[in-house]
Amino acid sequence: MKEKVLIANRGEIAIRIAEACQSLGLDFVLVYTGADEDSEHVRRYLDSKSNKNRAWRISNYTDPNDILSVADYTKCTAIHPGYGFFSEDFRFARRVTIRNRPLTFIGPKWEVIKDLGDKINTKRVANKLGIPTIPGTDAPIYNEIEAEAIAENILEKQEIQGIAEPSVLVKAAAGGGGMGIEEVLQPEQFRRVYRQIQNYAKRQFGDGGVLIEQCLRDYNHLEVQLVCSRHNERVYFGTRNCTIQSTGRQKRVEAAPGFDSSCFSYDFDPDDVLNKIVQYSLKLADHVKYDNVGTWEWIVARDGSPYLLEVNTRIQVENDVSARISYLKKKHPNLIREQIRLALGDKMGYSQKKIKFKGACIELRVVAEDTRRGFQPWIGTISRFDFPRHDWSAVYTHVPFDRPYVIPSDYDPNLALAIVWGADVDEAKERGRRFLNEVVIEGENGKGEPILTNIPYLKDNIDNLLRF
Amino acid sequence: MDDSYVNEILAQYRADPYGYVDSHTIHTGSINFYVKKDEKVEGVSGEWRHISGTKLYSLHREGNDKPVFSRSSGIVSSIRTDLEGKFVEAGEKVITIRYPLKKREIIEKILRRVLVPFKAPERAKYFFSLDIQSRIDKFGHRSVAVKPGDEILTMSLMKRDTPIYYQGEPGIIHSVYFQPGITMEQDEPLIGICPAEKLPVIQKVINRVKAEWE
Repeated sequence: MKEKVLIANRGEIAIRIAEACQSLGLDFVLVYTGADEDSEHVRRYLDSKSNKNRAWRISNYTDPNDILSVADYTKCTAIHPGYGFFSEDFRFARRVTIRNRPLTFIGPKWEVIKDLGDKINTKRVANKLGIPTIPGTDAPIYNEIEAEAIAENILEKQEIQGIAEPSVLVKAAAGGGGMGIEEVLQPEQFRRVYRQIQNYAKRQFGDGGVLIEQCLRDYNHLEVQLVCSRHNERVYFGTRNCTIQSTGRQKRVEAAPGFDSSCFSYDFDPDDVLNKIVQYSLKLADHVKYDNVGTWEWIVARDGSPYLLEVNTRIQVENDVSARISYLKKKHPNLIREQIRLALGDKMGYSQKKIKFKGACIELRVVAEDTRRGFQPWIGTISRFDFPRHDWSAVYTHVPFDRPYVIPSDYDPNLALAIVWGADVDEAKERGRRFLNEVVIEGENGKGEPILTNIPYLKDNIDNLLRF
Repeated sequence: MDDSYVNEILAQYRADPYGYVDSHTIHTGSINFYVKKDEKVEGVSGEWRHISGTKLYSLHREGNDKPVFSRSSGIVSSIRTDLEGKFVEAGEKVITIRYPLKKREIIEKILRRVLVPFKAPERAKYFFSLDIQSRIDKFGHRSVAVKPGDEILTMSLMKRDTPIYYQGEPGIIHSVYFQPGITMEQDEPLIGICPAEKLPVIQKVINRVKAEWE
């Protein structure tokens, strides 16, 4: 039977998945909410005049009943969750695959997501395998007094180690994507922050559990991109560096490879550290029999010590950064295409030896936000939106080029992902600057004030890439 | 606010003393209607509002029937019978109920024009701040006074929580127009503030509507 994919996501990733399906010769449908009616991911595929409607309105991207009822009605055989929403929800993956009319979940098996999708469990499994993790709790804490004692203990240990400015991070255990995290420097601040995070966690995620960890300073945030199949095949597509993040710890600029000696004089052998995190990632992937795409997130301290942060059991926003430094038969791979193909049961068809790494790549996330006011989201209407076209760049966006677009306030104000690549990091940086100078974004908010984007911030930060 | 202003508002409601409630499908599924056009329907009732209104339609999906009941008593003024038995998307307008406005609603609508509105700064979801919410829980919102600079609300926008500080005339929170977690449009009033000196005027409006409205 020919496969048909339901794309259970929005924005640029929905478009990228649709295009990957088309390149594999697969039929597909998309879902959308009322707030996204004007998004390009809907308009491009909405044809209400014919019976071949490919975009279906649902109540919410997180309503599994709506998604599954559309999947059944449109006779889909597989669901691609994209990133965010249900992408790392093992219950959803299980429900998709175990039902009267089973569907293929395009992602790892639900058992694997259960093992690794939960960052607390990941920490426990990693600790068992001798993979280094950040000092702190490995279970959610619900009791304020217990939480305070743990925080005090972590702060004390840092003082004993002679760490300047000891601090702890209080995180919503069920959170992710940098949301619901606050830093505490003084023990007397702890209760207020704890209550604030617990309240946020209850409201946003329905679970008030928090994690408490040592706050590492002066580090780089790295990622290892793995691609695995249902046939016990596992390869990696290099490393990425995504240290440049908003104050809410959301990534803004990413680069591959993870370190480059031309950018900074490291206190360690960068190749050795990168190799170490790749090997640790593969070790954990082997242990849990990982079987689709996934990203292993690492913190590397200034002295080169790596700590596993979490595993993202899904396709990552920045997957194409890895693809643009990787070559399979002299071509850049499409990791979303690989993800779909492997989830549907294909064998990989290549080994690690066949993957060649060359050059450097940078991703710039163009967001409507006020970077000077804590990356405050900007809401308004975009009246003009255009990007340069080069053979060394790619743009992924759901914002239309040919009509005004009101940014929906229900979701993050991400406008586009711009990818630039070059023969080395210097060339990629130079092209990144040139690209940003050529971008045109115009618009205004309800008060008639002009649009605010993070483009100046992106320009300022290109030089800070791959540095401590 | 003089009597002629109140007269003018009341005349508007006398000319069209009806409210209209649209029912949109709350999710996807196959739809089956249980009412017809011009049929009388009952709204939710009972001491604890525990008795459901008339069953309007049901949505079937994932092996479950989701019945949707009328929230107001009135007449079915329009219905999409062309969708009977078909798969519908979420958010489809399927039924409109016309109902006679009650005194309480007329008062609330007039007060909305009279009270000092505190408007939504952005299209977002709103919650009372922890302190204000605990005072409301204890004493009721009409006993909670606010003044400029007080942190009264939390704006949840794109998953970020931002404190909102009150700006405007000091007074008590007389009316609350938002529901926690439901998106409010920019510039929609979130709460209606009644300055202390306006309380007698507000009471006069309430008494007048109570006395004059049948």
